[in-house]
Amino acid sequence: MLRAEGIAKTFFKGGANEVRALNGVNLRLDEGEFVTVIGSNGAGKSTFLNAVAGVFPVDEGRVVIGDTDVTAWPEWRRAVLIGRVFQDPSQGTCPGATIEQNLALALKRGQPRGLGPGVRRRDRELFRERLSRLGLGLENRLRDPAGLLSGGQRQALTMLMSVLVRPRLLLLDEHTAALDPKTAEKILGLTARLVEELGLSTLMVTHNMRQAIGLGHRLVMFHRGEIVLDIRGEEKRNLRVENLLTRFAEARGEEFTSDRALLV
Amino acid sequence: MRRLLFVTLAVLLWVAPCLAQDKVFHVSVTQIVEHPSLDAMRLGFLDRLKALGLKVEPSVHIAQGNMAANVQIASQIQGENPDLILAITTPSAQAVVQKIKDKPVVFTGVTDPLAAGLVKSLAAPGGNVTGMTDKSPMDRHLALIRECLPGLKRLGVLYNAGEPNSVVLVNLLKDECAKAGVALEEATAANSAAVYQAAKSLAGRVDAVYVPVDNTVVSALEAAIKVCEQNRLPFFSGDTDSVARGTVAALAVDYRKMGEQTADMAARILKDGRKPGEMPVESIRDLALHVNTGAAARMGLTLPESVLKRADKVIP
Amino acid sequence: MTSYAFFGALEQGFAFGLMVLGVYLTFRVLDFPDLTVDGSLPLGAAVSAVAIDAGMHPALSLVLACGAGFLAGAVTGFLNTRLRILHLLASILTMIALYSVNLRIMGRPNLTLLGKPTLVDLFTTASGLPQYLSTPLLFGLVTAFAAVVLIWFLRTELGLALLATGDNPRMIRALGVNTGGTIILGLGLSNALTAMSGALVAQNQGGADVNMGVGTIVAGLASVILGETVFGRRSVAWAVLAAILGSLLYRLAIALALGLKLGSFSITPSDLNLITALLVVLALTAPRMKAKVFS
Repeated sequence: MLRAEGIAKTFFKGGANEVRALNGVNLRLDEGEFVTVIGSNGAGKSTFLNAVAGVFPVDEGRVVIGDTDVTAWPEWRRAVLIGRVFQDPSQGTCPGATIEQNLALALKRGQPRGLGPGVRRRDRELFRERLSRLGLGLENRLRDPAGLLSGGQRQALTMLMSVLVRPRLLLLDEHTAALDPKTAEKILGLTARLVEELGLSTLMVTHNMRQAIGLGHRLVMFHRGEIVLDIRGEEKRNLRVENLLTRFAEARGEEFTSDRALLV
Repeated sequence: MRRLLFVTLAVLLWVAPCLAQDKVFHVSVTQIVEHPSLDAMRLGFLDRLKALGLKVEPSVHIAQGNMAANVQIASQIQGENPDLILAITTPSAQAVVQKIKDKPVVFTGVTDPLAAGLVKSLAAPGGNVTGMTDKSPMDRHLALIRECLPGLKRLGVLYNAGEPNSVVLVNLLKDECAKAGVALEEATAANSAAVYQAAKSLAGRVDAVYVPVDNTVVSALEAAIKVCEQNRLPFFSGDTDSVARGTVAALAVDYRKMGEQTADMAARILKDGRKPGEMPVESIRDLALHVNTGAAARMGLTLPESVLKRADKVIP
Repeated sequence: MTSYAFFGALEQGFAFGLMVLGVYLTFRVLDFPDLTVDGSLPLGAAVSAVAIDAGMHPALSLVLACGAGFLAGAVTGFLNTRLRILHLLASILTMIALYSVNLRIMGRPNLTLLGKPTLVDLFTTASGLPQYLSTPLLFGLVTAFAAVVLIWFLRTELGLALLATGDNPRMIRALGVNTGGTIILGLGLSNALTAMSGALVAQNQGGADVNMGVGTIVAGLASVILGETVFGRRSVAWAVLAAILGSLLYRLAIALALGLKLGSFSITPSDLNLITALLVVLALTAPRMKAKVFS
């Protein structure tokens, strides 16, 4: 489903701040694979996700989604294939738009928008049905501006919007990091449910090692712009946090030092 | 009883002004922006009406360069129901004429009333509008030069061909020279640095040099003056400020006098009941004559007595 | 205030109301400070005047003016989205360039419409009303029509995408919208409205003048703010209506001030500049004013 080959990206080239964020990353995702991505700050996790989404052009390498080489495509063009949820709950929805308007915008993801009515009557039924499955009572608040919702509610809405039109690839960028633990759990539960129900190919970036180990079929660890660990199948199922740390040290010859990833 | 007396008195006092012999004329004035020449026109106009013995209650509106307010002023004036409207400059006149068709409008300070659409023809404006134009009378400028230099055969003109006003004036000058049998030599300067060269190119080819009201040449006037003095070439200008700086003579519009001449037109409408549409558009009768005898001497010219006598201002 | 002054204020309020709709579209909906209007207002006036001068039907000249305005807005959009010039700067550049363009189009600084058949003349004859009543009615009808079309448009899929572009561009890009395109479209529509406004204003003031655009953005912002403050903005339809009402209020305030005479003191148009400027400062600084709504 996803083939990232030799992805390299340097920011602030030539300046004092020059940093090689991605150093030749290769990753293959099969259809329906759920991959969690971890790594310390600055390891390149989010940068990789952004590279796949097309937020910036890469210096080297190819990005192929499905059968399409999207390396030269700008972000908005790739959107037809990709669903995204951001870390900041306020970034995934339009605060000034109503819930139904937000969903209507998501319903047309990747399609050309014309002069037909933005929110159609028959769409409202679909929205109500999907929202009720969230169990948050949002199906009764279709006409409320999204800006009135709490962070957790907005993130749930964003999740719904990201899969309203089935994406070929779902990108989740630390989407529970800004939520309180209880809400985070809810959103994770929702994530697991949606991904399983729809059989989505998913890349989930997280700082939380327990999350990374607990969810998905495969775990990938970034360090200094490269992938240093790739654990899947049986091995992943038996994985514990301590093992992870040892495996990291073996792979890089150094200790994994990131309090945030460990303090959960 | 006391109440009735009070009311009667009040009514009498209220009616009294209307019983007075002199009618009070309401004149609304609209002016696009505050500017010395425009203000001079307005003050000349109002003072002259007073001097003619008319009782005038003026209502003055100045748009401060705000074109939207200019239009609302026209509406405001419509509501004032004046006996006559004075419009100073083209945009003010256009706004008023667009709205008010049933009151006399007199414009002044308008360079080209025909192009502005204010009148159908200069001789018979038609409608309710007439006024004065301040276009430079090139025939009188040429006449002055020929009075100072009776044997004038070739005249040089210095100007910037990129300035539309100058182009218009030079074309008019061409016509006048053709009529008078004088050859016109043109020298153009695209910017102030080129003025010196342009002036030099005229030396030896012409008997006198003229500059119309041209911003470029006037900004580098001293350079041209220097050339003319070196070559003993009388240098005439179209505006009087340049005479103070060193040109020989100029006939210029005195804006206050223009206002006064406009008032004469207005008085004919107010007192004699003339119809504006039947009154031809006038141009300034009295031009101010300024001469600079010192500059004349330096350029090898003795100004004739007739000119010196008429001069409004003589600079030594 | 006399009835002439009152209706005069209404006709100005409606004529400029189209421009205020345009400013609402860029400043509020797209969150794009667009100064192009100072140039596109006289552009519309110039195009319309030249067209009428050449014998075109005045209603058709309005359409032409719209087209010209759309192009001007698109240029600003292009400068910003493709050449990555800051939005404020891009609009200023277009505005400055339009001064020369307008002069070229007219061939002179002032092109008269007196004595030429304008929409005002045609409508006055057709309606049988005196000119001071027919003009505000005509402009009111045109502006009402434009408002209805604008409200309808903002409810379409494309319109919703435009609203989202100003509200959360990052999100809408992730949903497949080419925000570069929507910005250009929005700026084009806004300046098309403004140019049409200029055409109407020119027909009301007797001619097109190259300097008539000075201070347009300030008057537009003041009108938008006034409308929002007095009428609120609960929904898009309400905000559009508030914009037009704000334009009317603004011109009424000017008419009031122009007629005000307390003894020898009277408010001059330059005092209005100060009041308008203060209103705009308020608009740009008060945080609550910056919050956007579009449902």
